[in-house]
Amino acid sequence: MGDILNIFIKSAFIENMALSYFLGMCSFLAVSKSVKTALGLGIAVVFVQGLTIPMNWLIDYYLLGENGVFGMDLTFLRFIIFISTIAALVQLVEMAVEKFSPSLYNSLGIFLPLITVNCAILGASLFMITKEYGFAESVSFGLGGGVGWALAIVAIAGIREKMSYSVIPAPLRGLGMAFILTGLMGIAFMGLMGIDPAAFK
Amino acid sequence: MAATTDVQVKKEAAFSFGKEERSLITDPINDNNPVTVQILGVCSALAVTTLVTKAIVMGVAVTLVTAFSNMFTSMLREYIPKQIRMIVQLVIIAFLVTVVELILKAVNYPIWKDLSVFIGLIITNCILMGRLEAYAMGNRPWKSFLDGIGNGLGYSVILIAIATIREIFGKGSFMDIKLIGPTAEYPLNTTDIAALSWYTANNLLILSPAAMFLVALIIWIQRGRNRKLIDIS
Amino acid sequence: MHSTNYIIRFTIVMTVIVAFVLALMVSGLKDVHSENEAVYNKKGILSAVATQLGKDIPAMTNAEVQEVFNKQIEQKVINTRGEELSPEQVKAATGGVSSSAETLDLAKEAKKPEAEKLLPLFIYTDDDGKKYTIVYARGKGLWDEIWGYITLDSDMNTIVGQAFDHKGETPGLGAEIKDNKNWYGQFTGKKFYNTKGEYTSIAVVKGGVKDPAHQVDAISGATITGKGVDDMLRKGIKYYEPYFMKNKKTDVN
Repeated sequence: MGDILNIFIKSAFIENMALSYFLGMCSFLAVSKSVKTALGLGIAVVFVQGLTIPMNWLIDYYLLGENGVFGMDLTFLRFIIFISTIAALVQLVEMAVEKFSPSLYNSLGIFLPLITVNCAILGASLFMITKEYGFAESVSFGLGGGVGWALAIVAIAGIREKMSYSVIPAPLRGLGMAFILTGLMGIAFMGLMGIDPAAFK
Repeated sequence: MAATTDVQVKKEAAFSFGKEERSLITDPINDNNPVTVQILGVCSALAVTTLVTKAIVMGVAVTLVTAFSNMFTSMLREYIPKQIRMIVQLVIIAFLVTVVELILKAVNYPIWKDLSVFIGLIITNCILMGRLEAYAMGNRPWKSFLDGIGNGLGYSVILIAIATIREIFGKGSFMDIKLIGPTAEYPLNTTDIAALSWYTANNLLILSPAAMFLVALIIWIQRGRNRKLIDIS
Repeated sequence: MHSTNYIIRFTIVMTVIVAFVLALMVSGLKDVHSENEAVYNKKGILSAVATQLGKDIPAMTNAEVQEVFNKQIEQKVINTRGEELSPEQVKAATGGVSSSAETLDLAKEAKKPEAEKLLPLFIYTDDDGKKYTIVYARGKGLWDEIWGYITLDSDMNTIVGQAFDHKGETPGLGAEIKDNKNWYGQFTGKKFYNTKGEYTSIAVVKGGVKDPAHQVDAISGATITGKGVDDMLRKGIKYYEPYFMKNKKTDVN
């Protein structure tokens, strides 16, 4: 149990997908203009990441691996299968949300298609493979990674909202400043690297 | 923020290469650059730019994948069912990325090992999906191919520019050839200015946040020169 | 809009084509891939004797690596009691996965309990017939695993070469253990045993080296990776102790 919590904390803070690995930057920069929309996208990412990572783990282990049903090494199909799973799951989630909670769909729905091409999701799936996690660990890794990413985008959006009052050289306005801010936040998050994950065991 | 290029499909020879075609390649390199203007494909721009060699390999890989995915999608554009358009596009991209990965693994194993998950992440490089949606779905294969090359090159130029700065000042070398900083022959305290041995490599540039600052710098310079691009909001 | 029937047909045709082409490529390139992988691992081992070899390891061609490896490197698999295992015994212990030191699944071996651990060992013979022993240690850095090959002189004590590698340390900080020659070069000449013959290992310390025979300076900004190297050497090389005792030549000291 300690290990699972440990992985969650590590993936949310220390190995933050957005600020340590800089993954999912396209939507990160495009949607971080206001806290409200950032929060919507953040929640959607937590949701999709928490679902797709374990799903991809199951597929990788039971279909593609040597111990799977086909009994041969099909790992060369990983990219195609992973991205299809993500796209299919996102579409399913979108349809389900639309059907059961129109109000949630109105606030979350527009972000869902954006998530398919969010590198953080595919990145987390691929990292899960290179880190050789088990099933329970990958659930924790997926959720933790999602939470960390959501946290980062909300934090940046908060700063960007306040930034609109400051005087910035015209060519740097908007995008340029967002890059600098993200870089600074990244350096700030490096401070968390010193946390000893063993303390959470 | 995907830019829509309004080039009309005219009746023309399949493989002409005129002014219009040339601009398909040159535009994305500067004024319509996918990284700094359209903000697409930033993720990998940061992780693979610590060494110039890595950046070049990544640039070539992305250019090949954009060009061919654009071409294939354009060839299939009338047959792809609209309902599953996105998955079909992703499968085409993922297929090409796997092909590139397999080739790279055979040609240069150490680089493949070094790039690790970032080759896979080409799939979610927004440049690809962006170009497929904005261009290849409505244009002929040859032009889509050129558009892909152009955008791939635009991406590579930024990647290589960032990597050059990061490698020279962060590691004191260029494409693994030692340029500045102390070496075995010229240790730190020699007075020989020509060897530039007084330079201590700036570690900050090797860390990934540095790439963020460099992209911001490029944006600053580019928008300073071309005021049309300034963000008004 | 297309009919469901059409969508299903389109999907099936596309899947079959894609899977077929990829499967063809994978089987066609399989030999090249496995050769590249083997050479990559061999280069990792040879990096530990780069000075003795006098060659730029990354620039070596596949054929050169294979030649050096076949002619000048002798492989052994030993257990923690210092006994050498025959290929059949190794095969039995690893469940048929490997039979030689270079193909051992080292990540798996590192997790086994001490009594069952298999240790890889390479003996490099230089052109003058002098023998060097290459040992291996694996541990944890900040993000993920780190490992290293250490070359020892025939006294089984003095380091004459080393190569560290890692799975995902921070570039510019922890990754310096592999990239920064000035840092890993410090290990050359250090000793694992003190003058009384006790195992002291080599410590990675901050703020200046006080005991030049057994300490190296840490990388600033990479405290945890440094501790990882420290820990890895202290535990990992100790496993070879029974072997060292049996095989060391005291006349060098």
